[in-house]
Amino acid sequence: MAARCRLRSPQRSFRAAAALRRPAEEQHKEPAASSSQRQFDSHPADDAPEPGTQDAWASYTGQDGQESEDSASEEQLQHRILAAALEFVPEHGWTAEAIAEGAKTLGLSAAAAGMFRSDGSELVLHFVSQCNTKLAELLEQEQKLVQLGETQKKTTDQFLRDALEARLRMLIPYIEKWPQAVSILLLPRNIPSSLSLLTSMIDDICHFAGDQSTDFNWYTRRAVLTGIYNTTELVMMQDSSPDFEDTWRFLENRVADAVNMDNTAKQVKSTGEALVQGLMGAAVTVKNLSGLNQRR
Amino acid sequence: MAAALCPCRALLGRRPRALRALARPARGLAAHGQTHFGFQTVSEEEKGEKVYQVFESVAKKYDVMNDSMSLGIHRVWKDVLLHKMNPCPGTLLLDVAGGTGDIAFRFINYVRSVRERQLRRKLKHHQNLSWQEIADSYQEEAVKPLGDSQVVVCDINKEMLKVGRQKAEHLGYSEGLSWVVGNAEELPFGDEKFDVYTVSFGIRNLTHIDLALQEAYRVLKPGGRFLCLEFSQVTNPLLSRLYDLYSFQIIPVLGEIIAGDWKSYQYLVESIRRFPPQEEFKEMIEDAGFLKVDYQNLTSGIVAIHSGFKL
Repeated sequence: MAARCRLRSPQRSFRAAAALRRPAEEQHKEPAASSSQRQFDSHPADDAPEPGTQDAWASYTGQDGQESEDSASEEQLQHRILAAALEFVPEHGWTAEAIAEGAKTLGLSAAAAGMFRSDGSELVLHFVSQCNTKLAELLEQEQKLVQLGETQKKTTDQFLRDALEARLRMLIPYIEKWPQAVSILLLPRNIPSSLSLLTSMIDDICHFAGDQSTDFNWYTRRAVLTGIYNTTELVMMQDSSPDFEDTWRFLENRVADAVNMDNTAKQVKSTGEALVQGLMGAAVTVKNLSGLNQRR
Repeated sequence: MAAALCPCRALLGRRPRALRALARPARGLAAHGQTHFGFQTVSEEEKGEKVYQVFESVAKKYDVMNDSMSLGIHRVWKDVLLHKMNPCPGTLLLDVAGGTGDIAFRFINYVRSVRERQLRRKLKHHQNLSWQEIADSYQEEAVKPLGDSQVVVCDINKEMLKVGRQKAEHLGYSEGLSWVVGNAEELPFGDEKFDVYTVSFGIRNLTHIDLALQEAYRVLKPGGRFLCLEFSQVTNPLLSRLYDLYSFQIIPVLGEIIAGDWKSYQYLVESIRRFPPQEEFKEMIEDAGFLKVDYQNLTSGIVAIHSGFKL
């Protein structure tokens, strides 16, 4: 028991020291993000015992707790470098040079760009996932407003149009270099990640549009929406009209087509059912008239 | 005792891996100032002397021997190292134990071509420049063909540096190159000066590898990169047998024929066997404080490139 207490205190001083260093570095970078860490620091005695003991024990025996903490902070640093690199994309494109410039703004040497692949894929993937997260937040906020009754619920096609427009507008600052980004996303090595990002984005939009289908419609709706998104993106890349009016008009037409198609499909189904019922009725009538139905 | 040590460690260094470092076996040697020189055991002071003598005697034939021993493949290994580094113009490189300057020359070539590409792209960007502006941009290219990149070649052995400087003159490298005599375990540079630190086929000759790694950590800027190109353990067992045969039967003979020096090349192949394997060396690098440490095997592990970042 005494041995365990002795082991606990050095671990806590490690974590305190390590955690102290991080807020000191990040102080002038992201005060908001590190405030939660600073809170943890100021009450090491209170917070550390409960969750801390568990981790401290595990990290002493296997160094696993410490390692996962380090890898988490490495990941954070990587995200910060990529976020800083985005502002250099219009000039350098989606390349390792933009990442090197981003690292320089954070006070690191340009050699830190060696952490990422040299074709700039990680930068593009980071940007796309960031856009998807922003879109999901936007849609959630809208949904809350509708639930609170502050805004009217939109029709399906209006909703889809607005969601896709909002998502595509996020590309506007980088539209010059976007063809390069698309080509990077289509590299065989990146296809699994880029495909999963695309599908999760479309899934979010469909979910917030109120799609609750449990039949094959689930797939057709998402496939159609993916098609609309991709074609509109292509149109946007070569659009030179003021504020991309042509693109939004194209989008409007495609969404209208899709919704029409959906309505038509429903109509055909119900018409078909009605027809079948009518034919069955006619057949029974004929049988009655011809006396075949009489039971002897 | 551990409790007293650890807070100090935590304040000085970021990673409290002291426990792990103490636990690692010392490769079968007692801590009495004895170390290995190939398969012999010598005192630590002696080792430095002996290594100096080895390289003093092989300096003039170093490049020729490299080509004949590795059948020219060492050039590919060094090119791969440069591609992994992917330096941009403005990088400061420290090449330790870089003797005859192979890495330094490749670095200069690489940076020069990247810079040319950059300038060409800039010109294409501004298609409608006036003639005066175009002429000015040509001048700019003449003034900064390397874009402020610099490489410092540091080696403890003056003979190797002499050969390197002669090579540089012969090949026409004049700019961005400096030759410094220095000990890798105690570098004559200030803190946080360099963007990249490389050591290629040199670190296994050092008496205290961990000191060299700590010095590397010290002289690198935050965000700087440590790269080590070194012979390592072969992964494939069949290839390992062939490699051992080649190392012990053929290389010393080549050494005798071409350089007239059997013993130095015997030392070389023995020192390769004494160097820690990939995973262990990776842990040593992590202990010095580097993060995102990784290694890449070349030629099935005959050579490995270890990379770490000071973050």
